[in-house]
Amino acid sequence: MRSLVLGFHPNGCVSRAARIGFGAATLVLGLLLWQVAPPALPRPLELAHALRVLWCEQHLFDHLVTSFTLNLEAIGWSTLITLTLAYASVLPAVRPLVGAFAKLRFTGLVGWAFVLTLLARDGHQLKLWMLMFGMVPFFLTAMTAVVAAIPHERFDHARTLGLSERRVVWEVVVRGTAGEALETLRQNAAMGWMMIAMVEGIVRSEGGLGALMVDANKHLQFGALFALVGVVLAIGIAQDLALRWLRRVLCPAADLRR
Amino acid sequence: MFAHTFHETLLRVEGLRVEVGGTSVLSGVDAEIKDVVRPDVIQGQVVSVLGPSGVGKSTLIRVLAGLQPPTEGRVLLTERQCPVRAGMVGVVHQSCPLFEHQTVLENLLMASRDIVKARQLLARFGLREREDAWPAELSGGERQRVAILQQLMCGHTYLLMDEPFSCLDPVNKGKVCELIADLTHLDTRTTIIVVTHDIREAIKIADTLWLLGREPGRDGSRIVATYNLIERDLAWSPGIEHTPAFAALARELENRFATL
Repeated sequence: MRSLVLGFHPNGCVSRAARIGFGAATLVLGLLLWQVAPPALPRPLELAHALRVLWCEQHLFDHLVTSFTLNLEAIGWSTLITLTLAYASVLPAVRPLVGAFAKLRFTGLVGWAFVLTLLARDGHQLKLWMLMFGMVPFFLTAMTAVVAAIPHERFDHARTLGLSERRVVWEVVVRGTAGEALETLRQNAAMGWMMIAMVEGIVRSEGGLGALMVDANKHLQFGALFALVGVVLAIGIAQDLALRWLRRVLCPAADLRR
Repeated sequence: MFAHTFHETLLRVEGLRVEVGGTSVLSGVDAEIKDVVRPDVIQGQVVSVLGPSGVGKSTLIRVLAGLQPPTEGRVLLTERQCPVRAGMVGVVHQSCPLFEHQTVLENLLMASRDIVKARQLLARFGLREREDAWPAELSGGERQRVAILQQLMCGHTYLLMDEPFSCLDPVNKGKVCELIADLTHLDTRTTIIVVTHDIREAIKIADTLWLLGREPGRDGSRIVATYNLIERDLAWSPGIEHTPAFAALARELENRFATL
């Protein structure tokens, strides 16, 4: 009982059972709100039915694979570009370029989409570039902040051991921030799933969850639409957990520091 | 007083001036550390640099370690009087940074690939059981010892320690003093410079004491006084802090602190 009361105190420390209780209560509250929500929001049974139809009649699995591989590809390229630029920010001459890339987060895809369409070889490449355009500036902003926040004592410490300046960068900047890099990647990888509906809605040549969502929206099939939103949510959470697991495996010391 | 002789100069600071953002932090710093030799004892040198907060102690550390070039003057090391450069002097920072992504043993091997020496040092300083631990799993005292051992792995005979007593309780302060005393018995050329504002610990561990401070009418800080603790019979003796001479010097320094 006391633990439950502490749950409503700022910075209160609660038992595991109380934490599970608060989680379950949130879930029940969510389901109740769902039941009394306006009729435009489909009910759970409608969603289950729509999901079955999508799976059996509209090849949901194939679309899922298309979106998943596209997103994975975008995450891979975005990570490569971001980390290269963020680590290169230790070079004073490259810092303005990195800053300029990061500032692109203030511009939307409007306008750029046209330029990218002209430059892209095919629909797949266009989708990939649009996703990367959405992800890289945010990921880069977060990663350059991680690099900039390294205390100068860590550089000094490496130098006193007689390491060359390249080795200092490798150990302190690259290996030293690997845990933070994976954490930043985990947080920014969600951006891809947020943009997938828009990107696959613009370029529909390969299908994908976004194309299905645009179709469902166009035909006012809200059951199907929200079933797809649920699929994206589930995939996103699974991806988040996978990246968290990867971080624990690759950087076991990172969680200890937190 | 213990028998001793001073031999060649191991560290010389000449006319050091450091400006940061157009302001003199250090100005006219001159100092010297000579190799002190005791018969039948392996005895290194320990210099305590005492000074109030904000007097430029951290800047002095960076310059002495070759991590920051001075605006004027120079720092010369060894009997051959080589200009200092990064990597010649070990530094144990206040926060004891280590490579967090590597275990204790891997941290030591970053400095040198000699695994036998690494394990010997770990055993000697009570860390053999912790060789596979991550730095984040170490206590403050263990972390400090690993940071020191990492510098010893490089073969550094010069070691700068930045505020090693800060935030420590009296028992742990005593352990750090013992650790420093142990280090001075590794080699006669081992030279440890401890930068601190803790007057009592500074006297307890050192054979020489430099008082760093800013004097009225002068730009920047300099070494305003040097105390030879060997001549005062305040060096190398356990339990020295209970003597009247120790208390008198501590009082004298406290009074001078107030004027700096």
